[in-house]
Amino acid sequence: MRRLLYLLREAVANVLTNRTTTLVAVATTAFTFACVGVFLLLYVNLRTMASSLEQDIQVMVYLQDDLTEQARNDIEQQLKVDRAIGSLTFVSKERALADFQAQFPSESRLLQGLGQNPLPASFVVTLVAESRSSDAMRRWANRTQLIPGVSQVQYSQEWVEALAGIVRYIELAAIIVGVILSAASVTIIANTIRLALYSRREEIEILGLIGASTTFIRVPYLLEGAALGLCGSALSLVILKAGFELFRHQIHSATRFLGVDALLTFFSFDMCLVLMLVGLFLGCAGSFLSLLRFGEGRA
Amino acid sequence: MIQLFHVSKYYDRRPALSDVTLEIEKGEFVLLMGPSGAGKSTLLKLLIGAERPEEGQILVQGRSLSKLRPSEIPVLRRKVGVVLQDFRLLPKKTVFENVSLPLLVQGASTTEIRRKVAEALRSVGLDHKKDLFPPGLSTGEQQRICIARAIVNGPIMLLADEPTGNLDPYLTSEIIELFKSINARGTTIIVATHDPNVLAQVNRRVITLDHGKVVSPAQVAS
Repeated sequence: MRRLLYLLREAVANVLTNRTTTLVAVATTAFTFACVGVFLLLYVNLRTMASSLEQDIQVMVYLQDDLTEQARNDIEQQLKVDRAIGSLTFVSKERALADFQAQFPSESRLLQGLGQNPLPASFVVTLVAESRSSDAMRRWANRTQLIPGVSQVQYSQEWVEALAGIVRYIELAAIIVGVILSAASVTIIANTIRLALYSRREEIEILGLIGASTTFIRVPYLLEGAALGLCGSALSLVILKAGFELFRHQIHSATRFLGVDALLTFFSFDMCLVLMLVGLFLGCAGSFLSLLRFGEGRA
Repeated sequence: MIQLFHVSKYYDRRPALSDVTLEIEKGEFVLLMGPSGAGKSTLLKLLIGAERPEEGQILVQGRSLSKLRPSEIPVLRRKVGVVLQDFRLLPKKTVFENVSLPLLVQGASTTEIRRKVAEALRSVGLDHKKDLFPPGLSTGEQQRICIARAIVNGPIMLLADEPTGNLDPYLTSEIIELFKSINARGTTIIVATHDPNVLAQVNRRVITLDHGKVVSPAQVAS
């Protein structure tokens, strides 16, 4: 117990001895983590939006006009057994016209001028979650297009693919930026710990002489690194939250984006904990690197 | 207790110790004499596992130091007290905290630490200064605190490297008397020094080193 107290006291003493360096390290680490956090937030929000939009995407399977009742039933049966389909609704020509007239009353006169109903009958299909990715959707559309009696399969292909592409790029950017900036954080913490090690090298030598184990010597510096990483990541979350709320407020104020702000989400509590743990781990890694380079306890 | 067989140690291919063979019995008080660069400090470093010999073998209590794993070196050092010329006390820790360090790293209980530190400080005559900080003490007192730290955990041997190098003749006598009383309690003592005052006051066995070799005192003089 006394030994544990001593190690904790030494870790605090390390921090207090190098106050300015510690503060600079925490601030730099916080801003570095915050940069990674911006990309993560962007990624999380775009993914949420993408999956929300994917849920709303409906695929229209248009049927040929000269189709018999039997042929239509056959197509319906084929679609019903398709595992990729979550729900299926038939829209007759008459219903399509009625819907059009209800949605666009001013343009409905144009159709009356044609004499006959030009709108095709269709099936409105919602795909199951596993088949909503742009690739899966494209494959399914190509396959369905080949069913006899189907004239066209339509969905917001470009929109879905563009969104999937953006999410992929953001994901890649988050990974690259994350790796680079995490390495930077480890270096910053490692340098701070190295300064602490050099300022207390005499004490380390004495501890080695009197029989302190490597673990006993290392623990205060590992604790210090962990504390730096933890404080840095916690501060970065505070910065991110403040920035996020400011951004949401701005979006809310702009009338044309009304409603979009409700879609924006910050990291969940669990995610915040994970990010703080990552900070703690990176802090430990920085300390460990410095200790290895310093080579204490080997003399 | 300590046996060296044909031990050689080189720094940049220059021999710091060359083919040294010697034996020190349990409870002995040995002076390791010789000029600067003779290899005295190197010999002490070998005995605490801070250096490893390139050739030969060192046995402490029958255990070969060459075969010690890195994790076993701290265990060896807990059995050895070390006193250095520059004291190596931690200036921001009190006398009590400095002396208690060897017990703390061993995981001794609070009660044990209090009892043993008080005992060690009493034996060097400084128990009334336990709450002071080293910079507030005289050089002689600082060296005695260093000795208290070296003996606090009851080591089997005490190694002192030029312990009187920073002290005047009066303080040197004080420190030598202290070593004698520690030795009288059964601790093996090896003092490396080139101070003739120490030799004059210690009428014990002398091992003389010169250019890394054990020689007779007459050879050094010549």
